[in-house]
Amino acid sequence: MRIRLDPWPVDTQDGQLTLKPFAGLVFNAETDHWAAIPTRGIPHRMRRLLVVDGKPRMEARLLLDDEAGGMSVAGFGAFVVGAVDLCPHGSRQAQLQGVSASRVLAYSGDTPLEVTRLSPRNPHSGLLEYQPHAFAGAQVEGARAAVQTLMLRREQAMSAELASPLPLDETDVDALPDTLVLQDGPVRPGEAGRAVVGYVKTLHTDYLGADRIGLLTALRPGERTPVLRFKLGDRGEGTGEGREQRFTWYVRLCDAPFYQHPLAGVMRLEMHAPEDTDFVPRGVQDIADLSGALLCRLASQPHKDPRAPQNLIPTAALEQAMGRAMGSPEMVTRRIRAHLAGQYGPRVVA
Amino acid sequence: MVLGTEDATPVTFWFAVSPGASVQMDDLVVVETRKPDGQTVRFYGLVDHVRTRHEGVTFDSDVADVVAGLLPASVSYAARVLVTRVSPENFIPPQPGDTVGHARGDDLRIALSADKMKRAFPGGLLADGQVLPINYQFVNGESGGHINISGISGVATKTSYALFLLHSIFRSGVLDSRHEGHATRALIFNVKGEDLLFLDKFNKEVEGVERGVRAAKNLPQGRYDLLGLPMSPFQDVQFLAPPREGGSGVIVPNVEQRLGGVTPFVFTVREFCARRMLPYAFADRNASLNLGFVIGSIEDKLARLAQGSDAPYLTVPDWKAETDAMLDESVRFSELGEARIETFPQLVAYLEYKLLEENEGAGDRRWTGNQSPATLQAFIRRLRGVQKHLSPLVRGDLTAEQATKYRPNILSGRFKTSVVDINRLGSHAQMFVVGVLLRDLFEHKERYGRQDTVFVVLDELNKYAPREGDSPIKDVLLDIAERGRSLGIILIGAQQTASEVERRIVSNAAIRVVGRLDLAEAERPEYRFLPQSFRARAGILQPGTMLVSQPDVPNPVLVNYPFPAWATRRDEVAEEVGQASEDMGRDLLGL
Repeated sequence: MRIRLDPWPVDTQDGQLTLKPFAGLVFNAETDHWAAIPTRGIPHRMRRLLVVDGKPRMEARLLLDDEAGGMSVAGFGAFVVGAVDLCPHGSRQAQLQGVSASRVLAYSGDTPLEVTRLSPRNPHSGLLEYQPHAFAGAQVEGARAAVQTLMLRREQAMSAELASPLPLDETDVDALPDTLVLQDGPVRPGEAGRAVVGYVKTLHTDYLGADRIGLLTALRPGERTPVLRFKLGDRGEGTGEGREQRFTWYVRLCDAPFYQHPLAGVMRLEMHAPEDTDFVPRGVQDIADLSGALLCRLASQPHKDPRAPQNLIPTAALEQAMGRAMGSPEMVTRRIRAHLAGQYGPRVVA
Repeated sequence: MVLGTEDATPVTFWFAVSPGASVQMDDLVVVETRKPDGQTVRFYGLVDHVRTRHEGVTFDSDVADVVAGLLPASVSYAARVLVTRVSPENFIPPQPGDTVGHARGDDLRIALSADKMKRAFPGGLLADGQVLPINYQFVNGESGGHINISGISGVATKTSYALFLLHSIFRSGVLDSRHEGHATRALIFNVKGEDLLFLDKFNKEVEGVERGVRAAKNLPQGRYDLLGLPMSPFQDVQFLAPPREGGSGVIVPNVEQRLGGVTPFVFTVREFCARRMLPYAFADRNASLNLGFVIGSIEDKLARLAQGSDAPYLTVPDWKAETDAMLDESVRFSELGEARIETFPQLVAYLEYKLLEENEGAGDRRWTGNQSPATLQAFIRRLRGVQKHLSPLVRGDLTAEQATKYRPNILSGRFKTSVVDINRLGSHAQMFVVGVLLRDLFEHKERYGRQDTVFVVLDELNKYAPREGDSPIKDVLLDIAERGRSLGIILIGAQQTASEVERRIVSNAAIRVVGRLDLAEAERPEYRFLPQSFRARAGILQPGTMLVSQPDVPNPVLVNYPFPAWATRRDEVAEEVGQASEDMGRDLLGL
């Protein structure tokens, strides 16, 4: 029995390595020869990389009493979506793009609600405006889920808008787009045909199985596994018919320290796959070939980021910027309280 | 815009500099804020700190990631302001987000409180070429007086700045506007080298230097033009120097570089006694209390002895000098049978006789005043010690005409500026001359009142008025510092280290100026009037740059001032050959 560290700190939501076996079928898409593939560097053709991420936050849980005496749940929430725009060759400074917060009043029920405006307490602190958004069901966590959904939707729209189109035609030599989007988490429906790569920091699902996972340990920094293909939500029961398919491959960003699990420093990338194809389109292949070099360049250092190296340098900066864009949670809570007190009570409670 | 991440207070605040704008230290800025009732308050201030840094990044090494284009970060360029003025005087803080701008024109005048100054003269140029006004009312004694300049010798250019201020006072028109131009005078002591003996000569290097500075600083005009001052040497200057030793009969000034236009000055033995100069021959009066009594009583005796005649020498009935080669045609009948004291050594010998030798060593009881012989011996010993230094200065072997001609005359006559050269004198004689001249000046002003301001420029204050110890000259300087301003005597003092000068002299100066300072010195309490950032900067000031603090402006201001238009060395003199040699010839002929 060996004890090894999960690379990530215990206060993150999950560890990096869970490795639940994937129940569905995984196909070799690129090659049947299961061996490490070195990176080919970043071609000059690719000029622009956008790292897209989003961040939700609940700011207050609400209970709504209607005239009929019914009660329903709601919440004030906020989310931000943004991108870091950088040149993969380092020819210009990285810039934040479109980092701005949206505020949502998520509620269940059928009665439409008005926009809630929290007027500023002094001219510098700005107006808070919660747009109403109804969600179905009456679960307590519905509001949180609604905010999350809105964020993902915005994130996906942003990725799709920013990324170049990616022709999924095998033979096209010039398939590599000049703008690539790296999106936090798996790719989502609606992004097909765009140069969007989802990067999954955690290895929660094991798509490889016991006989193949050994290669991940053997990968050297920058090397990747061959591209695989699987069907989303395939639980091995044949119910996944008609679901979208994904290409996926693994990349090692850095050597694992000896005290950590040997899979530390590995992350999984994901792209859309056309329906039931047995080949890897040229564009996807090119992106997979450059991914090792690109991610090694973006990988963070353990002394700067506890989730290193998977939490990329631009991602960490983006998360910080997004947190700032939403404002201080204590301040917002206080303003919500003051707002409600001002509406219902005799005096404003600050 | 005023920062919200640092405290903004009515006395100091930070602001962010917009991209494309540039702010440097010492820039004057203005910010306007609005009170809830709609009233606006303007803050004027001086930038004392500027910095840039990456914001949004955590680690120092992140700069590499930012430059590599991986990490988005923005550069925060911010400046700190020390507020010099709040108008109206509502000490509310500026609000984060208020827009800050450069102070120019009227704003600049308000920032420097120039609108409050009825009479001002230029004190130098700010970094961007604008003129710093100095309130004359804080110089001439009306509201305050005295100027004190500190700095390391050589690089701090204290004397140059003192002279520049004098030049500015005399020539900027501030005196004419008060109708005092004809009566204001300056007394300058030249303590080092013969730097100041060419004040009336044009400096041939000034035009080249100023042209270079104008080009380097990209100024619209030359610095003298910007200041509104003529690029010309001092006018109406007389130069006084002690006589050369040993010259009998002919009195020649003891100077090396300057050949003509220097007047020697001497004191007669009678003046020495009658005007009670004896104490100034002793630098360390506090050596013992008894010695002080002896000096006082001898001073009194000598003064009494000197009454009744106006001949340069003294006559005494009861003593015979060793040298008796005095019989010549000028003997007066009333003096027959009396001995003449014509030289300082004779005076000392006479005192020795009266105190230690008469009555078989007991001395004249009226002179000794019951002091112990040891004290009397100490007195004579000290007097002997300074005898060598003073004998060229205090003489009796002069004709009455010579005595009048060579009596130092600072206040009357056509000369506005008198330079007294004491650099070749020994330390005791320097103290003696400075002490006697200042005492005379002080007594004169006490009698005639404060109109006609006299500026006294004296370097090396730490020698004349040290913090420790007590000396007659320190008393005079203290008198000047404390009462001089009401009498119209303004001390422009300079020293290397203000911490070693009598505290009251420094603290009485309304205008304080600091040049390059030793950094250890800059941390002493005497420089607390400088904010911390200025103290740190005082260590790197270049020659020609000064920090000026004046009462109207709560924070010191960094100024530069032009290269002197007057020569400071002989090889800088731009000579019109014919003119100069003619002058020299006239001087030699005594015309």
